Amino acid sequence: MTLCHVPYMNAHSAHTCCPRSVNVVFCTIVPPHLLDHLSRSGDPALYEPARRTLERDALQRTRRRITTVRMAAGTGAGPAAEETAGEPAEKKPRRTIFDAGQSEQLPGEKVRSEGEEPVDDASVNRAYAGLGATFDLYLSVFSRYSIDDAGMPLDATVHYGRDYGNAFWDGERMVFGDGDGEVFRDFTLPVDVIGHELTHGVTQHTANLAYFGQSGALNESLSDVFGSLIKQYGLGQTADAADWLIGDTLFTDRVEGTALRSMKAPGTAYDDDVLGKDPQPATMEDYVHTGSDNGGVHINSGIPNHAFYRLATELGGHAWERAGQIWYDTLTSGSLSPDADFAAFAGATVAAAAGRYGEGGAEQEAVLKSWSLVGVTPADA
Amino acid sequence: MRITVTRTGGFGGLTRRATLRTDGRPDAAELAALARSALAEGRAEPSTGVPDGFHYEIETDDGTTYCADPRLTEAQSALIGKVFREGGTDRG
Repeated sequence: MTLCHVPYMNAHSAHTCCPRSVNVVFCTIVPPHLLDHLSRSGDPALYEPARRTLERDALQRTRRRITTVRMAAGTGAGPAAEETAGEPAEKKPRRTIFDAGQSEQLPGEKVRSEGEEPVDDASVNRAYAGLGATFDLYLSVFSRYSIDDAGMPLDATVHYGRDYGNAFWDGERMVFGDGDGEVFRDFTLPVDVIGHELTHGVTQHTANLAYFGQSGALNESLSDVFGSLIKQYGLGQTADAADWLIGDTLFTDRVEGTALRSMKAPGTAYDDDVLGKDPQPATMEDYVHTGSDNGGVHINSGIPNHAFYRLATELGGHAWERAGQIWYDTLTSGSLSPDADFAAFAGATVAAAAGRYGEGGAEQEAVLKSWSLVGVTPADA
Repeated sequence: MRITVTRTGGFGGLTRRATLRTDGRPDAAELAALARSALAEGRAEPSTGVPDGFHYEIETDDGTTYCADPRLTEAQSALIGKVFREGGTDRG
């Protein structure tokens, strides 16, 4: 059995990124949910710097009039909020977290609204922070104002169901279970899972790819791509430094595996005597034909996932910059039909790369190469 | 009666299957009633469902039915929970 890698919950590694002194604040690469967690710690050495970081960031954000919410997890409607009253409305998230109390009733009881202080429930605070991190990436990098690009409120329900090892998007909200305790832990733990679910909402409001077969696998892959970008953006990682894993803190210690999926090496995320082996293909040669899982949407998503990884590492630097922009342009171009297959999507990415970075440029060449490496021939867009 | 639940989809796309035999159990009549309700309230064919939602196939001696999260009826939810908790599990 392999011990799960738990980067976000490792307080000591976060703490050592800054000199330990009375006025220490955590470096801004510390994920907001970790700050949120630390700010409620019983150890003053941990909670004091975390709270200072949260407060400092709130103040700076107000001063700069920037729209980021990366560190908004612990900010309330205090002096900073009053300071901005009467000025033109900023594009800010409107988050509400509900608690289903282990029932399957949605939405559940409202437990934390936008701007409210953290509560004594880590799942609630993680969902709140994860929604903020996702909102931030879409707004800061792609100028997208929430799921629908019109400021749609972000709602999430935690503690859904009994021993519920899953998270899903129900068309209006993100829903997270606590895990079954055998295979899965709490689904609010990995920020890429939160970004994955919210991206299903973005896809629903843009290309609206049908959730079956290749269009469904593309829908899944887009959620993995942007979920991973949200994590990489929060950590400030370049493409070659990122782990490209999806759900790397989800498995319990009983499971032989590092994550649910690997975009870098599809098919290698886990190999367990109970779960079996990660079935994801990396190339069309190993495409899985199945009627299960809506035609293998969580299986064949490995192919476009790997194409994105190849593109991002070929281009280098931050994956959300050029590679992410090409994928975002493709998703929002209006050129994809709801039943687009891999070849149609690939063709649209080639057109998007040419449209933004120039015909025959390095970006377009890298897009063509990445699809070639996974065995997909782009259709004429 | 033999009740088999097969769960597919979900964030992980993993399949889980479990079978519960009601013969000799003190709650056999209750389980049979739950199974009848779950069947009557289910679909004849699988639905597309919601992104990352679980899909369930419930097989009993009386037939097969399909349902999906988050729109399970009380009987479907209770039956699925019982079969997974108390039935023989076969993941894979």
